[in-house]
Amino acid sequence: MRWPPEPGVRRSSKQASEFAMLDRVLQSGWLTIALSIAYACIMSVLAPGFASIENGTNVVVAMLPLMVVATGQTIVLISGGIDLSVTSVIALTSIAGAAVVTNDAGWLAGNSVATPVAVLAMLIVGAAVGFFNGGCVAWLRMPPFIVTLTTMIFASGLAVWLTQSKSISHLPTSFMLLGKQLWASGLVAIAVAVGVQTMLSRTRLGSSIRAIGNNPLTALASGVRVAPATVFAYVLSGICAAVAALLITGQLETGSPVQWENNLLDIVGATVIGGTSLYGGRGHVLWTLSGVLLLTLIDNSLNLLNLSHFTIMMAKGGVILLAALLDAWRHRRGNR
Amino acid sequence: MNSTLLEMTGIRKSFYGVDVLKDVELRMQAGQTLGLVGENGAGKSTLMNIIGGNLRADAGQMQLAGELYVPHTPRDAQRAGVAFIHQELNLFANLSIAENIFLTSFPRTKLRNIDYNDMHQRADALLEQVGLRLSPRLLVENLSAGERQLVEIAKALRLAPRLMILDEPTTSLTSRETAKLFELLVSLQSNGMGLLYISHALGDVKRLCDEVLVLRDGAVVGQGPMCDFEPNQLVSMMVGRESSDQFPPRHNHPSKVKQLDVQHVTQPGVVRDISFVLNGGEVLGISGLMGSGRTELARILFGLDPMKSGHITMCGEPIERLPTAGRIARGMAMLTESRREDGLCMQASIAENMSLVAEPKYARPPWGLLRKAALTSALHAMRNAVKLSASTEWHRPVQTLSGGNQQKVVLAKWLLNQPKVLILDEPTRGIDVGAKFEIYALIDRLASDGQSILIISSEIEELLGICDRILVMSQGEIKDELARNEFDQSRIMLAALQADHVAASLRDADQ
Amino acid sequence: MTRKQLLLGLLNQAPLALFAVVFAIFGSLSNKFLDPQNFINILTQSSSLAVAAIGMTVVLLTAGVDLSVGSVMFVAVAVTGKLIAGGQPLWLSMLAGCMVGVVAGGVNALVITRLRVIAFIATLAMLFVGRGFGLWLTNTRAMNMPDEVTQFGAARWLGIPIPVVVMLVLAILVHWALRNTAWGRQLYAIGQDVDGAKKAGVRVAPIIFSAYVLCGGCAAVSGLIALTQTGAVSPSFGQQKEFAAIAAAVLGGTSLFGGRGHILPGTLFGAILFQTVENGLVIVNADPYLYPLILSGIIFLSVLLDTTRQRVVGRAARRTIRAV
Repeated sequence: MRWPPEPGVRRSSKQASEFAMLDRVLQSGWLTIALSIAYACIMSVLAPGFASIENGTNVVVAMLPLMVVATGQTIVLISGGIDLSVTSVIALTSIAGAAVVTNDAGWLAGNSVATPVAVLAMLIVGAAVGFFNGGCVAWLRMPPFIVTLTTMIFASGLAVWLTQSKSISHLPTSFMLLGKQLWASGLVAIAVAVGVQTMLSRTRLGSSIRAIGNNPLTALASGVRVAPATVFAYVLSGICAAVAALLITGQLETGSPVQWENNLLDIVGATVIGGTSLYGGRGHVLWTLSGVLLLTLIDNSLNLLNLSHFTIMMAKGGVILLAALLDAWRHRRGNR
Repeated sequence: MNSTLLEMTGIRKSFYGVDVLKDVELRMQAGQTLGLVGENGAGKSTLMNIIGGNLRADAGQMQLAGELYVPHTPRDAQRAGVAFIHQELNLFANLSIAENIFLTSFPRTKLRNIDYNDMHQRADALLEQVGLRLSPRLLVENLSAGERQLVEIAKALRLAPRLMILDEPTTSLTSRETAKLFELLVSLQSNGMGLLYISHALGDVKRLCDEVLVLRDGAVVGQGPMCDFEPNQLVSMMVGRESSDQFPPRHNHPSKVKQLDVQHVTQPGVVRDISFVLNGGEVLGISGLMGSGRTELARILFGLDPMKSGHITMCGEPIERLPTAGRIARGMAMLTESRREDGLCMQASIAENMSLVAEPKYARPPWGLLRKAALTSALHAMRNAVKLSASTEWHRPVQTLSGGNQQKVVLAKWLLNQPKVLILDEPTRGIDVGAKFEIYALIDRLASDGQSILIISSEIEELLGICDRILVMSQGEIKDELARNEFDQSRIMLAALQADHVAASLRDADQ
Repeated sequence: MTRKQLLLGLLNQAPLALFAVVFAIFGSLSNKFLDPQNFINILTQSSSLAVAAIGMTVVLLTAGVDLSVGSVMFVAVAVTGKLIAGGQPLWLSMLAGCMVGVVAGGVNALVITRLRVIAFIATLAMLFVGRGFGLWLTNTRAMNMPDEVTQFGAARWLGIPIPVVVMLVLAILVHWALRNTAWGRQLYAIGQDVDGAKKAGVRVAPIIFSAYVLCGGCAAVSGLIALTQTGAVSPSFGQQKEFAAIAAAVLGGTSLFGGRGHILPGTLFGAILFQTVENGLVIVNADPYLYPLILSGIIFLSVLLDTTRQRVVGRAARRTIRAV
């Protein structure tokens, strides 16, 4: 992540007091990965069956879709916005894809091109919702959180209305392949993560998005095309949500209009836990990966300990709140 | 009446190692109006902020009416009887006049609700005192700038202060409003209040003040009864600094190639009929007081603010319809007035900030992947060119750098794009002497290479030291133009100041 | 200048125009809609939303937002319902429900003022935590209330249904406090310019704190009113009511950017307009699954109006150097 390479100058070690040490630990992007590993070590002792290959697989399976959608969220957060519509995009694209391929009178049921068309349809729907969000934020200057909230209600309402609140099942195996086969979903998640991080750190678009999140006025005065870059961030988030929907729909073997309805906080939370800032300008896909890992580990281990749904929710909420506090603290420090 | 109201001795203050105030002595009587004059950056505001409790002096003592006076907060100052009326008014447009006056001390009835009758009566009395015949129920958003200024004074009068500091109170007022304000100030003064009056408008100072104190570079260069000073004498005291070896020698020879041609640029309420030509290899200065429209002009030229009519041509190509990004792509660059606001991404690293503008040149189609190696070597080269201190790491957030190094990062960011026309707005603000010299040298070198430079500055010597030609702006218009052989500090200062009176008389004619 | 004022005037009147359009559409679709009895129904049905919107207005005035309103409503009625089912007297159970709202608001306020987390993130977390807590309390099952609860909701005082009385009393009280107390005026100042208010010596934190507490309390009361009208606590009780409350406030002229807005008639009008749409949809037998689509459309429209208004105001406030 360090770029460009330092010309032989190392960090000066003056005033290396304990506080500076603590400071650096809390500022570090690697904090969450370290925490995840420590947490996994503790839980492998405490929780029966935690340290098994089977459970490890479960953790990975649970992580992959969350990873994909949180990667999209990372882009939007870096641009200084937020996308609260992702869960509804997952639901909407899930039923859109399922409606195309389902063997229960789907549009292209049994057709050999059904699966590619369905996947394409999902991506287009996700991109369209993202385009709407981004357009409202960039061109109409509406506050991101309220725009994406409205989209969230609308998109989930649309999904429920279109299906009359019924799930769509009997999906062909080719369509469920990406979700069902661990290697396939893993490949997709890795491709998304690598692609997005490359975009963020190695292209003009990435530095534009980062600059907009850091200081939109500076970005504008430096010739960054602020509006298109902002729209693009939201479009990518929509597409990532659609890809996640593809994995989830495959895993669950149904397209449902309430798919992932209650996972919004996990998505934003995982991103923030990783260290991506709610104030914009700061973030990394690897950090998000570590946030997703920690959150999934907590969820999984507490489930193994047979704690109630509510307790798990409180625990996750607490961790997310802590992350938000840490983020606010970093931001205030930065502004001093 | 002739008791000492405020006495300051040995006041010193420095920011980031730059001395802003050097052993300032100040003494004023009750019932007296003391005018405080000096160029931008002479230390006037710092001195006033120390009296008003916003800043604390590094050394020195203050006595208010014979007692030791050590304000820690603006509130302390208020309690001690010092009212500070800032140039930027702090009024809430969505509240009424009376509510603004009594915001932190509403009169209440027994039910703990606001006693509107009492409040409006008291507000009425205060408004009458400042000569404002308006209902105290009126929302502040409906008031003119002058009326708001008077409301701010009424707010200060609520606490019956002994000393009132006014910072440039007339900049946004019409001449009629100014006259009204002066009447008020004279009556306050005759009631025994001390007034500290800061202004660039020397005519106003002459008219209002009994005594005057001149600051230059943070030191007092003259204090005495107003009648002892002629305006021209004040001007030369304000600017009279020997410009010895602060500036590197200039070796440029402007060509006759029109790099930037500005014709009749007008934006209502901001600038009017601005026309000038910037030649290749030329360093053109724009002088003017704060609020003269110089920064606004630069933002219009750069496409950041709208323009109603006029033409801007760069290297033969009309650019007035292009957005900022388009102008940058064609070779324009602008170092903005405030690094924090729109100059830098303060939390981002040096490398990120430096590469922001020039990146499109290093993007490889079709995906826009950056040629990192090429960009990195360009960054290293540019870093040496602007002499960014070697000890600073690439990955440090720019907010941890000194002002001088921050400014070098901004310059480097623009120079990487190899601009043809470079607009610099206050390029040396908040920078120490050494870094200043390096920036001047850089400007000279760029001009020698044929780049055109438009430089805006509050410091006249700076313009005298590095420019080939200077335009003087006031009230959104160009008032004077000086070629290098006509350079004269007093003429520039007078053009910038006198214009106020011309405009004021024009406004009177309108009314 | 005058054209800008005209545009502003139009933007300010847009909700009234919207109201007229809504009336015309539903009136032409069904004559039951224009029945006088239906107006009283609309007013009664509006009372729950209006109460929540009153609290939301106060928070919006500080330039904040509270996304946890719906969940707080749910937790409050869940606690009340549990207590009633456990044989506690009605008034005590309701009081306990109100206290739950106040406490939840207090938690939001603490996180926002003391820990300085952005308001929408803090209250978004509360949205999920509150919902989870409520589901745990009710075991994710619907609870039916005894008849005395619905009887209380249908009772009248001086011929006016109790929910309407509560709505009017709260509206008048909060409106009065915003208009006539130091707290209220300083709240407007904070919404306009927090830093300016701090500079002027306003004690910002306690006032912002009180706004969220008030909003939590209003949410609880709103939930209780809805409880007396429906007579049941379902797992989706109060869901998305925060958006309806924001829409009502913004339709009534309250700005999302803070410092501008009124309870009377503003927010009350907004709530009634919102409820009129829902009522009309029921009367014309629209597909219930369509409701969220139409209602989110209205929210979007109201926010768009507010944003446009804000931009026009901002452009008008731009500083000038010379006389135009």
